[in-house]
Amino acid sequence: MSAGSGHDTMRITLKIWRQAGPDAKGGMVTYTLDTVSPDMSFLEMLDVLNEELLAKGEEPVAFEHDCREGICGACSLVVDGIPHGPQSETTVCQLHMRHYADGATIHIEPWRANAFPIVRDLIVDRSAFDRIIAAGGFVSVATGAPQDANATPIGGEIAELAMDAAACIGCGACVAACPNASAMLFTAAKVSHLALLPQGKVERERRALAMVGAMDAEGFGNCTNHFECMGACPKGISVENIARMNREYLRATLVSRDLG
Amino acid sequence: MLRWIANALTSSVGRKIVLGLTGLLLVGFLFEHLHGNLKLYEGDGEAFVDYVNWLQGYGWLLRVAEFGLLGLFVAHIVIALRLTLENREARRTGYVVRSSTGKKTAASASMFVTGALLIAFLIKHLLDFRFHHEFFDDPSGEVREHLASPGTAAIYILAALVLGLHLSHGFRSAFQSIGASHPKLDPILEKLGPLVAALLALGFASFPVYFLFFGGK
Amino acid sequence: MTPQASDAGRLDSKAPGGPIETRWDRHRFDMKLVNPANKRKFHVLVVGTGLAGASAAASLAELGYRVSVFCIQDSPRRAHSIAAQGGINAAKNYPNDGDSIYRLFYDTIKGGDFRARESNVYRLAQVSNNIIDQCAAQGVPFAREYGGHLSNRSFGGAQVSRTFYARGQTGQQLLLGAYSAMMRQVGLGKIKMFPRREMLDLVKVEGVARGIVCRNLVTGEYERYAGDAVVLATGGYGNVFYLSTNAKACNVTASWRAHKHGAFFANPCYTQIHPTCIPVSGDHQSKLTLMSESLRNDGRVWVPLEKGDTRKPNDIPEEERDYYLERRYPAFGNLVPRDVASRAAKERCDAGYGVGATGFAVYLDFRDAIARDGEDAIRARYGNLFQMYERITGEDPYRVPMRIYPASHYTMGGLWVDYNLESTIPGLFVLGEANFSDHGANRLGASALMQGLADGYFVIPYTIGGHFNARALPAVSTDAPQFQASETMARERTDKLLAVGGKRSINSFHRALGEIVWNKCGMARNEQGLTSAIEDIRALRAEFWENVRVPGDGGYLNQSLEHAGRVADFLEFAELLVSDALDRTESCGGHFREESQTEEGEAARKDDEFSYVAAWEFQGVGEKAKLHKEELTFEYVKPSQRSYK
Repeated sequence: MSAGSGHDTMRITLKIWRQAGPDAKGGMVTYTLDTVSPDMSFLEMLDVLNEELLAKGEEPVAFEHDCREGICGACSLVVDGIPHGPQSETTVCQLHMRHYADGATIHIEPWRANAFPIVRDLIVDRSAFDRIIAAGGFVSVATGAPQDANATPIGGEIAELAMDAAACIGCGACVAACPNASAMLFTAAKVSHLALLPQGKVERERRALAMVGAMDAEGFGNCTNHFECMGACPKGISVENIARMNREYLRATLVSRDLG
Repeated sequence: MLRWIANALTSSVGRKIVLGLTGLLLVGFLFEHLHGNLKLYEGDGEAFVDYVNWLQGYGWLLRVAEFGLLGLFVAHIVIALRLTLENREARRTGYVVRSSTGKKTAASASMFVTGALLIAFLIKHLLDFRFHHEFFDDPSGEVREHLASPGTAAIYILAALVLGLHLSHGFRSAFQSIGASHPKLDPILEKLGPLVAALLALGFASFPVYFLFFGGK
Repeated sequence: MTPQASDAGRLDSKAPGGPIETRWDRHRFDMKLVNPANKRKFHVLVVGTGLAGASAAASLAELGYRVSVFCIQDSPRRAHSIAAQGGINAAKNYPNDGDSIYRLFYDTIKGGDFRARESNVYRLAQVSNNIIDQCAAQGVPFAREYGGHLSNRSFGGAQVSRTFYARGQTGQQLLLGAYSAMMRQVGLGKIKMFPRREMLDLVKVEGVARGIVCRNLVTGEYERYAGDAVVLATGGYGNVFYLSTNAKACNVTASWRAHKHGAFFANPCYTQIHPTCIPVSGDHQSKLTLMSESLRNDGRVWVPLEKGDTRKPNDIPEEERDYYLERRYPAFGNLVPRDVASRAAKERCDAGYGVGATGFAVYLDFRDAIARDGEDAIRARYGNLFQMYERITGEDPYRVPMRIYPASHYTMGGLWVDYNLESTIPGLFVLGEANFSDHGANRLGASALMQGLADGYFVIPYTIGGHFNARALPAVSTDAPQFQASETMARERTDKLLAVGGKRSINSFHRALGEIVWNKCGMARNEQGLTSAIEDIRALRAEFWENVRVPGDGGYLNQSLEHAGRVADFLEFAELLVSDALDRTESCGGHFREESQTEEGEAARKDDEFSYVAAWEFQGVGEKAKLHKEELTFEYVKPSQRSYK
């Protein structure tokens, strides 16, 4: 099932962050590829690089990827200074090389944040996100307990708003893009998604306080409303969610009977 | 008993809310300050003198208000400082190539710098007038004298512009921080932010311009 | 503790008899319950965190069991269930269009081409409604009508609207629901989460599954975990085709290693080819992207009437287009089941009517739908899919018809399990796509999510208790010789991979394997191709172990080494897949044997010969596995030739 694309190939120069391990010293290394097809995805271009490195007996570049269709949130490359690269609302796995000119030079770096320590090359540890969810990113409902799904009507508009927030893929581009390495957009997306729905409203105070607390404990920065996160988010999640989280947090601080 | 307040005030979101709230209250103060200053244009500075005397007439109440104001400034500055330090700490290793997704603005990126400049100006400003004994003897004359000096006037003009830059992000940002965002509100705030910033910047810049170039006439 | 396989080679499905409506109820009643206070004494190891694994882990922990969960990704939220787009079926009958549990059961049995177990499928249909309730309660933002009630759509192969959805991201939202339920238990300390771990072996003690050996993918260390039951929810083996819609990390390793320990592998030849994928664009292709088949609700499939027509699609007038699905299947038209739609596309392309640069594509055209409903309506329904298509191909599907071609997508086969979802190894339960249970020879659209969650939320929490009650489970230590042996095996295999030191890349082996399996055991299969495929696979496997180059060592995060281990297992597994396809000389569902077709070229089943589940027992690498048959009996839905005309 091979196919000739008929397109010309491009020459691309890559400058890639290489780092052997969490504590190793890293640096940018330059590679040149001569046979990049415009139909390749960005990650397929890296596959080609890795095949060439393997053939030369060098270690391939480690980078995170899985579904390669923009939904799993694994891929995490800062391309020329922008998380997921130049195409808006597009994960880097869905970015295609036709967006680059022949002869282009591309810089590739990992997500940068203390809360996302580097594991190897372009791979970082994003388990902080899981801990934030574990702190409160859920509805406390056990399997088997629910009522009929239609027993609680939820207006179409609210359902859509909740879905907008729930679309987050947990990739961490918001953190990578934020000048302060803040995780507000990620946390706010989950707080918002659940605060908007009647099912989630029941424990909204506890959730807002716990998730913000967990986020702070991970060492992310603070939000200073640059909105770079929204610009980098491959799912176009709005900073309106951050405002909603702030509101939820303020409300929770004043209303919650938890005295700390 | 007050742990919950302490928790809120040490959390990222809690401090952000306080930063926004104090910022907005300070904007309120600036409008009143501008309103008072505008009296310099009324009569031959008599209205301004009356305004200063009227304020002074509140006696200890004014002191309380001043301490309140000081509190707002200190809270705003201390939180901003701490957040900034934490933010720098949150990314110890930076990017080799840095680019923007296009959302960041010059104003948003320079909040700390413009804030620091405003603190420096504030100290000078307080020393020029509030803690300058002669000021209360002849408020209008003192203002005229200070602002007619090209060096001081330049600083005041610059400070007004820096304030404008600070507020062109800060005003809109404060609403976001306290959670006031809505599809109906946001477009208004987008326009209102720069308007408020321009109004205050031009308003405050007008005084040194007036005294330097027009000799207060 | 006797194995389910009796001497006669017959398998006991443990499916209860009697009226089908009450089988599950009676079965649950007949199982002894585990005392609530005793539950915390049992430790369950759950491998995989997709819909089945995450929902099982959450539900078991809620019941009070101690649970440890393992996944190969950096976060459990990334499991490939997340990529399912279209929706999840349930027999709610909210639209009042005549749906019922029985109809969903009937459609699934029929859709599976009468190769699934009736009892299981009926249970699946029964709990489908609970799943929707459960997910709604978790805050899954299902699509809703303006009045606030849940929206439904119809989906390939069904004539009722029973598919619930959350935009084109239903899998993501359901997975995040299960993930959040699981993370809640992690936060409560009831679940221990072990990400970036790859299970390399199953550990049996006294014949019962009592542990696993994993490789820590970050440090390269081998880790042993002991428990009282092992739950495999490690997904399907679609990546045996190399190019598939599966995520890159999807693999057969956990299932295969369990198979080597005695878990029978059932119906591996039942693989599903999804009709609406974006075609291959070149040799660099690393995976294929599926677009939800909900597109076929509004899109019309066609090819030019004339062979080798190179005109642009919009220049081809209506009368020179062949809407071949509508022509061949007037009753179902573009909505025929996946296997039928896929084969019809292949038939047209093989006959020379294919379009695009490669000739391996057909058009999926929205022109008429846009003219009828307006572009906005189409955008609201499929906006994200259209966007995805445009990103990948650089073409605007609002203006130019999409080009689509079938791709490997889902595998109905998997480890054999009984009605309790227990494999032929006592204490080893297999859930979701990793088992073979509910879809027969072909899975209907929007049924994978349903099955994964049914297994995890509503079946395993009950049936695992049967295992704990029925068997004495003395404490085992990870120092036991069985653990030592497993770890040694895993280490040696890894070391062996690293020691080959050959010239050829891992990826090229995987690609070569994929080409063999796709070309000879893909959408259409015949004896000659399958026979030669076995030879090809053996030759490739031999070359792999002589000539593969795996860089670095095993002491750190080494993605090449991970991939090499998975390819090595695929190279062994592929032989079983092809052998099963060779053995089953009938056509059924996704398994189309060219020797067994009707005069009109449709799949022809041979019920008198093949109405059984083929469960294979491992005999050694390169040795023909031993066949065990589970006879399928149909008391309710009488087998008939599927007809979508």
